[in-house]
Amino acid sequence: MKRGAPPIVVSGAAALSAFGFGWRGLGRALRDRALKPAVSTQLQESHAGVLASELASIPAAVDVGDARTQKLMSRAARLGAVAVKQALDDAGWADAREEIGCFFGVGASGGSMTELREMLRASRDDAGFSLTRFGSAGLAACSPLFAFQLMNNFTLCHAAIQSGVAGPNSAFYSRGNGTLVALAEAAHALSEGDCARALAGAADTALHPVTFAELVREGRAQNGFVPGEGAGVLALTREAEQPLAVLEHCGFRGPGLAPSELVRELLEGVDGLEVDLVVLAPWGASARATLREAAEARFAGAALLDISLGLGDSLAATPALAWVAALDLLVSGEAERALILNAGTDAAVGAVLLGRPT
Amino acid sequence: MAHGVDRGPLTLRPVFVRGVGAITPLGSSWPRSVAALAAGKSAIGPITAFDVRNFPSTVAATVAERFDGVADRRLALAEVAAREAWAQARVSAPPEMLGIFMGAESGRASFDTVLSLARAAGGGASFDHVKFGAGARALAAQIDVSLLSPASVSSALAREFGAAGPARTISLACSSSAAAIAEGARAIRVGLCDLAICGGVGADVDPLMLAGFGRVGALSARGISCPFDVRRDGFVVGEGAAVVILAAEQGPALVELAGEARSLDAHHLTAPDPEGDGAARAMRAALAASRTDTVDYVQAHGTSTPLNDAVEAAAIQRVLGKRLDRALVSSVKGALGHWIAGAGALGFLAAVEAVANGNVLPTAGLSEPDPSCALPHVMGTAIQRSVDVALVNAFAFGGANCSLVLRRCA
Repeated sequence: MKRGAPPIVVSGAAALSAFGFGWRGLGRALRDRALKPAVSTQLQESHAGVLASELASIPAAVDVGDARTQKLMSRAARLGAVAVKQALDDAGWADAREEIGCFFGVGASGGSMTELREMLRASRDDAGFSLTRFGSAGLAACSPLFAFQLMNNFTLCHAAIQSGVAGPNSAFYSRGNGTLVALAEAAHALSEGDCARALAGAADTALHPVTFAELVREGRAQNGFVPGEGAGVLALTREAEQPLAVLEHCGFRGPGLAPSELVRELLEGVDGLEVDLVVLAPWGASARATLREAAEARFAGAALLDISLGLGDSLAATPALAWVAALDLLVSGEAERALILNAGTDAAVGAVLLGRPT
Repeated sequence: MAHGVDRGPLTLRPVFVRGVGAITPLGSSWPRSVAALAAGKSAIGPITAFDVRNFPSTVAATVAERFDGVADRRLALAEVAAREAWAQARVSAPPEMLGIFMGAESGRASFDTVLSLARAAGGGASFDHVKFGAGARALAAQIDVSLLSPASVSSALAREFGAAGPARTISLACSSSAAAIAEGARAIRVGLCDLAICGGVGADVDPLMLAGFGRVGALSARGISCPFDVRRDGFVVGEGAAVVILAAEQGPALVELAGEARSLDAHHLTAPDPEGDGAARAMRAALAASRTDTVDYVQAHGTSTPLNDAVEAAAIQRVLGKRLDRALVSSVKGALGHWIAGAGALGFLAAVEAVANGNVLPTAGLSEPDPSCALPHVMGTAIQRSVDVALVNAFAFGGANCSLVLRRCA
């Protein structure tokens, strides 16, 4: 988004969330009704009774790959692959996919608990966990590709393999702002002419038993935290006949300062602009209060939508879902310009500005 | 200042290499490592840190330093390399103009974590989710979360060097640290920071990594690392850290990072595109970005796996064509093994050595080049030759490719 350069526009999008498998209507649904979290089925065995924002089973019509391929994917990788496919279809990008860029915020993907169980069970002897048994029977008990479920970049690579997207790319570890970096890098790649079309987004889950256990022990699964899962993707280009929106700004800041100070600095990037919709994607009550207070002070009169209240928190995916929710409200004519503010567990904040095309 | 893309009028700035540092299995500093590498030494040897009986591979390239009392070996290695690079660079910048860009992966928990998980699972005959759920809570005091988070390396370096600029963690498996260098260069070019500490660390000589890569058949059953050789049968895991200081200001720098590019194979989880199209696109785009016609040296990804080496060799031949006549090619993995997330940064340092000092390091272990990998190899010991332009390749599991072009400063 160099000044003087052609604007970056949104040509398509995708969203997978507890509200369903599609992005149109997501913002309006979040505005009109709060999704009540339900007892998690994915955490049932390890953390019984946890309330979560969970996707329904992925319909075959929108899914990717065959059963064997799906088995090789982590949950986040599968959500990412489905979202990339949807975004490509939504943008009508069927041709020359090898030139399309792909920039993703990714989390710890999380391996199959079934594989882990089998590996551990086969690695035990009478004295407990045996390294020698692990090296033989333990390894033989799990899929040869188990290790690749654990690697973060496979959230991006599965999507690329399934959809044929093969342009400039990167996968940024994200608990919030890594997803903003992905969007900024996609915009940069477009501005510099590295590619003419690019996807930017994230897919992640807080519902993997090990991930949730991490959140518990870090003390982050409290104060009303609702674990979620999902994916959000924007299809970006320099030119489109009928763009959905214009990407006007993408900024991020921190960590290092108090959240309120970070937000103040961040909003200097959109100083003087009129905004009639502010979408918040905060982590926890404290961040929610900080973002809300700043938004109300700077953009009095703008409508406020807090997606975490409706969708829970899906870690790297949360900011991307917020962009797409805002896009829905822009496209449906309910807002002219939307500011999306996020604050993740990384003690950093980010802001994205989407406007209706003129 | 927000680290975003709305940056105002831009003139892309050049990027210079001001300092390098590394701790490798052949030396506790980069100059010591270079001396051993130039002599053709290899660090591949039997693993003694844990019981590897029955494992698919029993050798590795291991750093001798134990770092007793350090919970996360990645951090210890990265800090050694970064301090050396920083000391060499003799640079300074306001905290907000100093960025950190490191390649790292997560989820590849250390063996300690695997053991903790096994214990938390209850000790029964099978995985007990209920006990795991309860046990995981109790693990809070036992497991350092930094052992799991890929971002912890960048965070630790930011603390150590007082960096308040952009801090990014790139997770692209074996191309992570090359992509991190590319990200650092981009940040300097567009003015997000004036200095960037970039690189990567590999600390994967542990049972889980050997298990994972061994099960997929990627490791050398013979226990040799010999990129492009007819005997090659897989890679050998190595460990270490390589860090480079990039800067907008040339100062006394001898080397410029002139171009960087990335692509995806979009082909397979573990195997490269047999046509090498993704690799070729990354190389071509990086050379185009550098506006360079000639290439004197290629630091290849060269893992010593049968498929990767043949595909990369063909891609190099296709991209460089006649230009290959004046070039040399080698892979540092023959001597130091495959550092996974740290591999690209190590290759980058080898290329810097060639451009800055005319010291073209050899491919250790290569004695009988495979005809399917017909390249102008550097075998035995280092070759002294003036190198104006070098190309660095890093190709990852999953098909994420990154190429970097270095050029001697005018």
